[in-house]
Amino acid sequence: MTEHKKPSLAANLAARAPLAIAGAFLLVFVATPLLLLLWQTVDSPQGLTLSAWRELFGDEHDLARLLASLRLGLFATAISAALGLGHTWLSLGRDLPGGRWIAPLGIAPLIVPPIFVAMGFADLMPVSGFWPCALLLGVAHAPFVAVMAARGLRAVDGRGYESALLLRSRGRAELWLLRAILPELLAGCLLAFVFTVADHGVPEFLTVKGKTWHTYAEGIYSRWTRRATGVTFADQQSPVIASVPLVVALLSLLWLTLRLRARADERSVLRPLPLRPLFAYRWPALLVPILYLSAGLVMPIVVLARWALGSAQKVKPMSIDFLQRSFQKAMSEGLPDLLHSVWLALGTAAVVLLLALPLSRRAGRGGRAIEVLCALPLAAPAILLGIGLVLTFNHGPLAQLFGYSFYDGEGFALCGYVARFLPFAVLTLAAQVRRVPLAADDAARMLPRSRLARALYVHLPPLLPAAWSAAVLVFVLALRELDLAVLLPAANSTAVRRLANAVHFQHEDWSGVIALLVLSIGVLVPLVPSLIAGRRLHSLS
Amino acid sequence: MTTDNSVDVEGLALARGNFRLGPCSFRAEAAGRIAIVGPSGSGKTTLLRCLAGLDRPQAGTIRIGGTLVHGNGIDVAPNARQLGLVFQDGALWPHMTALQHLRFAAPTMGESEQKALLARAGLGGLEQRKPSSMSGGEAQRLGLVRTIAANPRVLLLDEPLRSVDVHQRDALVLLLRTLCAERSLTSILVTHDRDEALALANDLLVMRDGLIVERGAANELLTAPKTAFTAAFLASAACLPVEQSSNGTAATPFGAMACSGDAQNLRLVLMPGDVAAKPARNGTGPRGEVVACMPQGIAFAVRVAFGDQILPATATEGIRPGSAVELTLTRPARLLPWDNPHAS
Repeated sequence: MTEHKKPSLAANLAARAPLAIAGAFLLVFVATPLLLLLWQTVDSPQGLTLSAWRELFGDEHDLARLLASLRLGLFATAISAALGLGHTWLSLGRDLPGGRWIAPLGIAPLIVPPIFVAMGFADLMPVSGFWPCALLLGVAHAPFVAVMAARGLRAVDGRGYESALLLRSRGRAELWLLRAILPELLAGCLLAFVFTVADHGVPEFLTVKGKTWHTYAEGIYSRWTRRATGVTFADQQSPVIASVPLVVALLSLLWLTLRLRARADERSVLRPLPLRPLFAYRWPALLVPILYLSAGLVMPIVVLARWALGSAQKVKPMSIDFLQRSFQKAMSEGLPDLLHSVWLALGTAAVVLLLALPLSRRAGRGGRAIEVLCALPLAAPAILLGIGLVLTFNHGPLAQLFGYSFYDGEGFALCGYVARFLPFAVLTLAAQVRRVPLAADDAARMLPRSRLARALYVHLPPLLPAAWSAAVLVFVLALRELDLAVLLPAANSTAVRRLANAVHFQHEDWSGVIALLVLSIGVLVPLVPSLIAGRRLHSLS
Repeated sequence: MTTDNSVDVEGLALARGNFRLGPCSFRAEAAGRIAIVGPSGSGKTTLLRCLAGLDRPQAGTIRIGGTLVHGNGIDVAPNARQLGLVFQDGALWPHMTALQHLRFAAPTMGESEQKALLARAGLGGLEQRKPSSMSGGEAQRLGLVRTIAANPRVLLLDEPLRSVDVHQRDALVLLLRTLCAERSLTSILVTHDRDEALALANDLLVMRDGLIVERGAANELLTAPKTAFTAAFLASAACLPVEQSSNGTAATPFGAMACSGDAQNLRLVLMPGDVAAKPARNGTGPRGEVVACMPQGIAFAVRVAFGDQILPATATEGIRPGSAVELTLTRPARLLPWDNPHAS
């Protein structure tokens, strides 16, 4: 009787190295900072800080901010749902004039950072308080709803809609369709809600403009910036302790979102939806996408262009000469920050992709726990993740291990950004992995080829379009990131951070140019390779 | 490479949640063609995946060509077992062309040889096609030649004809049989389709609830099954419960029959053609009600509601559904145990 040899230990280790490295990154840069924050809420000189907790939760200001943030989330999400769903519902698979071109633009406003939308609105009208904030954040996060609704509509079996149409009226068939995409729609709304509640940049901007508005995430940040002057444990730890209810709320919503997404992934398309006519509303329906794209995309760009032309200068009218001067000033004042932003965003996208590929393979093949762990940074507001990273790497054993220079360096900023944006890539790629039948993997396992050959020729190619989409998404989000940029030392000098400051000091002229350059880069970097690569990368839209 | 392509399975067992497979033992002779048949959920696909190494059994041994590939602390990776597995829907890789599938499966095979193999499977001219632009039959044939190209010793087939239309079935069966014969491949087929099993295998293993309940040559199991379950599954026989009587007899609707053993486990097995139906008049035989009547050659095939079962019967004249009929046996029926108490 002969016996087969077992694979060597080295071969086994080499095969598992990518997943091990990605797992180690998750442990050090995601789990440790968040666990440290949690630990600090219960560790104090007085032992358990129940009294401190009671004191903080009894604080009327905190309670009011929490409720205000949740209210803000609800109203902003309602606006996101109306705009995002309206855009997709009326433009995808309908006879809307130009619908073929308008539908893919649903994702386009995502390129515009929420702070730019706020800056645009602030230029046109006085903005402060609850309703403008809800409107701004609703507009800025509507792309999440638009994209998820589009994904839902593309996954619906057209024969189901046709059956409903034959059995009942057109209106009932449309209702059936709405119910069919409900999981994706809710997932999009929950993402919009999570991002709205966790955003601190826009409320802070409106606070500066109007001095009347405070939200929870902003409160956490202002406590953090003031904590150095605190004298008691509660003073010093209050930003972390105060964030716990928000994190719990976000975690619950995120769990629900992941469940909804997972349910949606199990469907398969058998026949696309038929073209649904709009009849007499064909032309009037155009108003919805126009409103959506104008508010989220065109208006901020127009305002920024006006700034660059000199609109903020009250004495003289706008001119090309002024634009040239703005451009020169932008080059001298903001070019290094812009380049820094681009490199940081490119680096983030590249590292995220390298880590996300092994993680998503495991997550998509039954490792739901990995998916949940990867999604944790979404549940913690970015400002809180930033605080956790600062606490972890500014002092303590990990700071010693990595060296104190690491904290001030580019590497730390890059790792922070990667931790923040890893969930987007892992969730996107894991969904794609689940779409490939398990039998296709098994078929590859049966053939006498190495793990590496299987990974390169069988597993990786079907993921490439999704990997490209994820990389573009991460690049754009990293380019527009403001929350982490205010906390991580090396990220302080990014273009968006500089812009948020510059506008406060009436530097709208060259800020407009830098902002337009940021948007152009956000469009061109993903678009040019797509155009060169041709239709194979069509999934970008 | 050894020329012994036999497969030996001994005491194979696996438990997963409420499902239990085995212990199962069987041997597939070199170049033999066996089919594992059974209803859905009987464990046949799990057994096949254990053989392939895709699922890991908790007990038992598997030997291929005398080489231990699983058991006694050894678990050889699927790609080192020299087995080929043909999946239900081909399990093709959507991003690869037909030729690329073969290139991946057999990188040392020349392109002309790869093209010849594709042509052999009726896929000549489709070398650059991707699975999305192939029919179900073409995809299944590509799945087969991809497996064959890797030169396996044993071919595992998981319901290979399931997604193939009637017109392409014969071509695929012929291709499978020819390729297996040419390469002296041992083939193990898993299916719940009797016709598929008979087309591709000589010997059958019948599975139920994770156990092999009967085995034998295909013709033997069809005509003279040893259990009522096999008769019902393979030959669509009706199996009627019987009651224990005195003197070693069992009471059946068609009269007393000699029996040995526990009557509770016995069934009166009525194969198609065993029962004749005629319009009820004054006879004293068992009666039923016609559910359907279809012409079959010069006679009629009748489905008769009898108690809580539907019996297959024949009639010499057309009978309207709903009519009462009297049933008689055309040849001696058999009493068979429902279960095999020695199943493994």
